[in-house]
Amino acid sequence: MSNILTIAFFETWFVASIRLAGPVLLVSLGETIGQRSGILNIGIEGVMLGGALASFAVTFSFGSPALGLAAAVICGLVLGLFLSWMYVTAKVNQVVAGVIFNAFMMAAASYIYRALYGNSPAIQRVSGFGPIKIPVLSELPLIGPMLFAQSPLLYATFVLVGVIWYLLFKTTLGLSIIAVGEHPRSAEAAGISVTKIRYFGVMCSCAFAGFGGGYLMLTAINSYRDGITAGKGFIALAIVIFGAWNPTRVAMAAIVFGAADALQLSLQSAGVSIVPQLLFALPYLLTIIAVSGILGVRSQPTALLVPYDRT
Amino acid sequence: MKSFPRIIYTLVAVVAGLTIGTLLFIPFNVNPIAAYQTMFGEAFLSRQGIGTTLTKATPLIFVGLGTLVAWKSGFYYLGFQGTLYLGATGATLVALGARDGHILAGIPSPLLMVISLLAAFAFGGLWALIVGVLKVSKGGNDVLLSLMFNYVAVYLVNYLVTRPLRAEGSLPQTERFPDRATLPRLLGETNDLHFGFVVALLAAGVVWYVMRFTSIGYQFTSFGLNERASRYAGINAKRVTLVAAFTAGGLGALAGWSQVLGVQYRLLDGLDQVTGFEGIVTALLGGLNAIGAVFAAILYGGLVYGAQVMQRRIDIPSSVASMIQGVIVLLVLTGPIWGHFVARWRRRNKSNGVSEGIAVQ
Repeated sequence: MSNILTIAFFETWFVASIRLAGPVLLVSLGETIGQRSGILNIGIEGVMLGGALASFAVTFSFGSPALGLAAAVICGLVLGLFLSWMYVTAKVNQVVAGVIFNAFMMAAASYIYRALYGNSPAIQRVSGFGPIKIPVLSELPLIGPMLFAQSPLLYATFVLVGVIWYLLFKTTLGLSIIAVGEHPRSAEAAGISVTKIRYFGVMCSCAFAGFGGGYLMLTAINSYRDGITAGKGFIALAIVIFGAWNPTRVAMAAIVFGAADALQLSLQSAGVSIVPQLLFALPYLLTIIAVSGILGVRSQPTALLVPYDRT
Repeated sequence: MKSFPRIIYTLVAVVAGLTIGTLLFIPFNVNPIAAYQTMFGEAFLSRQGIGTTLTKATPLIFVGLGTLVAWKSGFYYLGFQGTLYLGATGATLVALGARDGHILAGIPSPLLMVISLLAAFAFGGLWALIVGVLKVSKGGNDVLLSLMFNYVAVYLVNYLVTRPLRAEGSLPQTERFPDRATLPRLLGETNDLHFGFVVALLAAGVVWYVMRFTSIGYQFTSFGLNERASRYAGINAKRVTLVAAFTAGGLGALAGWSQVLGVQYRLLDGLDQVTGFEGIVTALLGGLNAIGAVFAAILYGGLVYGAQVMQRRIDIPSSVASMIQGVIVLLVLTGPIWGHFVARWRRRNKSNGVSEGIAVQ
């Protein structure tokens, strides 16, 4: 066992932790806005899958990962329009709507993939975003490879943590979002349109989920198969709760989950023999602990899951 | 919508969903009418097809029943993939124990069925009960907990079939079960239909009766409708959630029981990745009602089988079945808003003097 406790082991583990946290963190950030407005959008798992497929198909056809990423975000927005209509206008139970949507997207993605590439497609790889080393800083020991030699999308994600923190806590729009999630009736009385704010919240969560799907595809996986998101959208939901609906805490929670995900890679490469299934299950087990209430229940936005009816 | 019987609306949604579904055949240059003829003809008009349709409906019925018991009680359990895997594991342990030279070797076949059924029910019930306990004692989030437990169950079965229960050979799977431990076929050896379907119908009857005519069923439903009022009425909230969790998990586990003992005859990796969620969708199509769940499961089972035949014959992805069901259920769920549109349209026509005076709300 002693051979695993080396600097090299920790370095690969920490670097991989940050890297794997990226896509899920991005999705969690959008979902934070959505939940703050009072909508628990379980559909982000399906939106991520859609984003992953859109980015794959566009990058495959045009050879440009940037275009692929744009397609993923657009796909998220289109699906978001539909989901927000379900949640806000049709007022379908949010859990039910999300579950049906996810089941539908699983099938739809599989159908579209086969419609595009044939019924038993060969595995195709697409190019993605490689890491960008920031001069000087990336030479720092440990911190360098962890923070300054990563994918450009990871840098963007960390910038977005700050942007969304500012949006939620320092702007009028953010205040409106929080008010709508806490007490929609009072917000409406103060002249805020609950419907508009909630549409905005769901659209944000879906745009980010699409983006996150594209991120996953273009930096980590680079090829498509059915069910490729493997519950990452659900983990993002848990991270939002674990991070107490606060972007900076959400970022820390995402890194903890990234570390759980990365541990199996590092331990395997260090040649430690632990039942691999236990390591694969680790992020999910950690999520269970995070949302079980064992660590205390965090107070959620009061109007979460409650459809708003003006009458 | 009150003036509109639910069943009529559901049938309208089925027809509308199938109509929208015709779009899915266009990219494959297939005539949708001919496609539907093939699908429904294969699924419902031949003895062989009916057997396969009902076989596919069986696990969906079990998951659907579990869904309605949980959801009617306000326990939003989404972990039926997990309970299916756990039920399959319980059934597998009993079936492997019935091999020659093992502890259950001398037990007659009918008794083995009962033991494996109880084992599967207990495995799945306890699995779901963990979520129930965390919810009532710690305020845990039932939706996310149950989703995460699905993944843990998948890795658990993956571990079992790659390590302790693995049979000789290149594939991660257990030995084939002895015939005595499997569910008998109902329509001869060449037809898929097995005894699990009969058990599913019996279970549906029991759930229907319990939900409708017994005190515990009444407590489930009233607690789901209004938690606070039920507490005032003296209903024990924790007990309702825990009983609902155990029952729902147990019913969901029977889906795994029927799949391994009636279809696969062994436990294997990735044994079923869709039924856990499709069963929930089916339950919603059936209006969260036990009888409705049976009919919805048979309809969807037929749709899936028909789509698989299509995939083999003319290369259309079989996922069209799931997409069509999704559209139908979305139409059902958004029913009130369509009703609202229809009402407005009628009002407008009426003011133009066109309508023949239908009462609107």
